[in-house]
Amino acid sequence: MIWLDSAATSFQKPPSVRFAVWKAMTMLSSPGRGGYASAMAAADVLFRCRCALGEMFGVSEPERVVFTSSATHGLNIAIKSLVRPGDRVVISGYEHNAVTRPLRAVGADVRIAASPLFDRDAAVEAFRQELPGAAAAVCCHVSNVFGYVLPVEEIAELCRRKGVPLIVDASQSAGVLPLDAERLGCAFAAMPGHKGLLGPQGTGVLLCGVEQVQTLIEGGTGSESDSDEMPALLPDRLEAGTHNVPGIAGLLAGADWIRERGVECIREHETALKNRLTGLLRGIRNITVFETEEDIQTGVVSLRLGGIDCETAAERLGERGIAVRAGLHCAPLAHRTAGTLETGTIRISMSPFSTERDVSRAAEEILRLVP
Amino acid sequence: MHYLLMFRSLTYAQRGARLLERSGITGTITRMPRSAATKGCAYGVLVSPTQYERAAAVLASGGSAPERVYIRNADGSLEGPVHDMA
Repeated sequence: MIWLDSAATSFQKPPSVRFAVWKAMTMLSSPGRGGYASAMAAADVLFRCRCALGEMFGVSEPERVVFTSSATHGLNIAIKSLVRPGDRVVISGYEHNAVTRPLRAVGADVRIAASPLFDRDAAVEAFRQELPGAAAAVCCHVSNVFGYVLPVEEIAELCRRKGVPLIVDASQSAGVLPLDAERLGCAFAAMPGHKGLLGPQGTGVLLCGVEQVQTLIEGGTGSESDSDEMPALLPDRLEAGTHNVPGIAGLLAGADWIRERGVECIREHETALKNRLTGLLRGIRNITVFETEEDIQTGVVSLRLGGIDCETAAERLGERGIAVRAGLHCAPLAHRTAGTLETGTIRISMSPFSTERDVSRAAEEILRLVP
Repeated sequence: MHYLLMFRSLTYAQRGARLLERSGITGTITRMPRSAATKGCAYGVLVSPTQYERAAAVLASGGSAPERVYIRNADGSLEGPVHDMA
C-alpha cells in the first residue's frame, strides 16, 4: 500500500514509536495512582512528554501541556471554555467540523472570515473586519483539505491587539511547521498526536495559554481526592480518568523522532514531494490541481478530476494500492470557501516516509483515471 | 531524616524535581502520607538535609516553591509542617 493519506493519520510510524507502545504496555501502569515503580515510571513518561512538547511548541510550563484523546477533544475543551451561547466567534473559512460543530452545539454567533484560497492578505483583512466585538476567534494553522498555511501569526497579532482570545487548530501543522504558542499569545492550541507528531491514534494535546478552563468530563485525577470538585490546577483539571499511557509513550517517541530530524527538514521533504506531484499533474486536461507557487502550502494537495466522481477515483486508486482521501474531508466550510463543495476533491497528503516513487506511481495511476 | 517538600500536584512535583536535578540536587518524588495530604492524594519530593537550603532557593527562584515542607524521619514519621506556603 502506498500511503498518501497522512493528513488523516500517519499510518507509517517510526519503529521507536511501536517499541515505546510495547514497552509501556509491558512495564508501565497508571501515573498518579501509586508510589510503586511502574506508576512512577509511567508518571515520568508523561512528564517527559509534556516537557518535549512544551519545548517544541513554546510552552515553558509543562503543566500547560494537557493530554487529550484527539485534537477534536482539545478543540471542544477550548471552545467550551471560552464561548457562551450567543457569543460572537470569528473563524476562518477553512475550519474543520471539529471547530464548527462544537460552536454550533454551544449556540455561538459564528462569523466566517472568508477569503480566497491561498490569499493570506485577504485572510488577515477578513479577520480584521470581523473581530470587533468577538468573544473568541478560531483559526486553523493549515487547511486539512488544501494544505494552505494560514497567516496565523498575523491573525494572532490582530487578536492580541483587539483582546480577543484565539484558539489555534494545529491539527495539520504540528510536526510539520514551527509553532510557538507563547509567542503567538493564543488562548489554546489543539493538535492530534497521531498525525504529524507520529504518535498512536487516541492521542492529542491541548496547549493552554489561559487558566480558566471548562472541564468536559469529571472524575479521578489522583490529586485533591478529598474534594468532589475537579482540581483547579492544570493539567489535572482536564485529565480526569486513567491516561492513555501506551499512547503517550508512543507520542513521546514520535516527538523525539521529529525533534531529532527537525521540523524544517520534514517540511522540506513533504513540500518537495508535493511539488513533484503537482508538476506531474499540472496542465493535464481534466485535472484541476489546487496549488500555489508561494511557499504557503504543506505536503497536502487537493485535486479535482473531470469526468469522474472523487469517491470513485479514490476507490479505484485504493484498488491499485494507493490510499488517498476523497469527499469533503470533514471540512465542508473549506470546500464551500474554495468552491469545491459540490464536487469534493481527492486529497493527497505526504508524510516523512513518503517517497518520490510513491508520488510518481500515484501520478501515473491518476493519469490513467482521467478521460 | 529527609525534608519532604509537598507540591500541589504530581506534575508540579515533577517540575520541582526537574529543577533540582538541573541544579545537581537529588530529589525523589514520593506520595505524601495521608496525614499530610489534607486535600487527599498528593505528591512530594524528598531532599536530604544537606541539600535542603539550596533546594528551597532553587525552587523559589524557578517559580516552583512547594506548598508545605515537612521533616520525614527514618522511621517514616512526619514532623511539621516546618514551612507552610499555602
